[in-house]
Amino acid sequence: MDELEFRRRIYANPNTTDSDLVAAANADEKKRAFWQEQKALDNKLKQTLKVDVPEDLASKLIWQQSADEFSRYKKRSRWYVAIAASVAFAVGISFTMLQQQSISLGDHALAHMQYVDVEESHSLLPVDLNMVNAKLASFGASFDTMIDGVEVANYCHLSTVQSLHLIVDTPQGKMSVFVVPSRDNVKVPSEFEDDSFHGESFKMQQANIIVVGNKGSDLSTMKDAVANRIQFSA
Amino acid sequence: MFARNKIDNTRVLSSMKAKHQRYEALVKAFHADIFRYAYWLVKDRSVAEDIVQETFLRAWRSLDALNDEKAAKGWLITILRRENARRFERKQLELVDIDDVFIHDDTQQAEGDIKERELHRLLGTLSIEYREPLILQLLFGFSGEEIATQLDLNKNTVMTRLFRARNQLKEALEKQNQHRGQANG
Repeated sequence: MDELEFRRRIYANPNTTDSDLVAAANADEKKRAFWQEQKALDNKLKQTLKVDVPEDLASKLIWQQSADEFSRYKKRSRWYVAIAASVAFAVGISFTMLQQQSISLGDHALAHMQYVDVEESHSLLPVDLNMVNAKLASFGASFDTMIDGVEVANYCHLSTVQSLHLIVDTPQGKMSVFVVPSRDNVKVPSEFEDDSFHGESFKMQQANIIVVGNKGSDLSTMKDAVANRIQFSA
Repeated sequence: MFARNKIDNTRVLSSMKAKHQRYEALVKAFHADIFRYAYWLVKDRSVAEDIVQETFLRAWRSLDALNDEKAAKGWLITILRRENARRFERKQLELVDIDDVFIHDDTQQAEGDIKERELHRLLGTLSIEYREPLILQLLFGFSGEEIATQLDLNKNTVMTRLFRARNQLKEALEKQNQHRGQANG
């Protein structure tokens, strides 16, 4: 092996164990000395390369990883919260819409019956034909003559529907008459009842009339009385 | 359903824990040599530290991509070299290549034999294409093939560069010894 080739290969890797290089070095003292010199230089170079590492570097690297993870976790949870909020919002909206689609007023009318005995007129004016008609006017309706025994005439809300609630004292006990404007999304059952009351309804041009009385009472008289007297303006 | 969620959660937690342990092991095993490598690439301690931080952050984020622990060293070096290249793209205008403006410092020449500081300086004067393979060989014990793969070079090119790197160092040292000999004599 010539000198140049030997030097090239030792320079390329002083720690080589190639057998032909070893053989060449064994045969030539100068080559052996050159190799030793290179190995010594390499050891010094290795020492030189080992510059001091900042003491806290390892902890910094671990810390920045936790910080990165935390900020990503925060972003991720914000994302989840946003999704959850959207879902809740959508559920809320659809729930409301579903409810609106099928409001059934029977139960609401029955609920109002619970406090018929204690209900007082909201108005200080006497309950007479003028007053009742004034209130009916908002539904485009009026009575031509007064129904006997009307004690209270109040606006009330059956669910979300504004209605006129008349409490009438009759020989069969107190009855309620609800005048409910017709709306597409409101269903008025023709008959309904609970433990103490029952009700019936009928439809007129622009309104549903609901009559509710004590269980077992005959509602037909009242229904006829209302039907005969109420008039709707065109 | 809740039971399954709980199992999933513990599984996620334990896999997170495993990932943390893996990352910490990676930091402990390699941060020192990776820092030194960065230092010898850029020859500036604080820049090197920045690059190392970026490197490990990226390593953490893509830790799942590291399948073979034996490949970890090369994987980190690849990330680091990419980070360094990115830094150059960002700061190209601000940087001057130190090799071009190296100021010869002869105040240390009177201090006896080959001093570490001198070698340090000489290593810094090697151009990056000679310096980098030499550092990979000396710092990480990479073979010629491994260096070739890492730097995406032909193996013969790598061997030539290693030879030239040492040759240049040797010549520089000899020149200095002559210098000193003359100065002392």
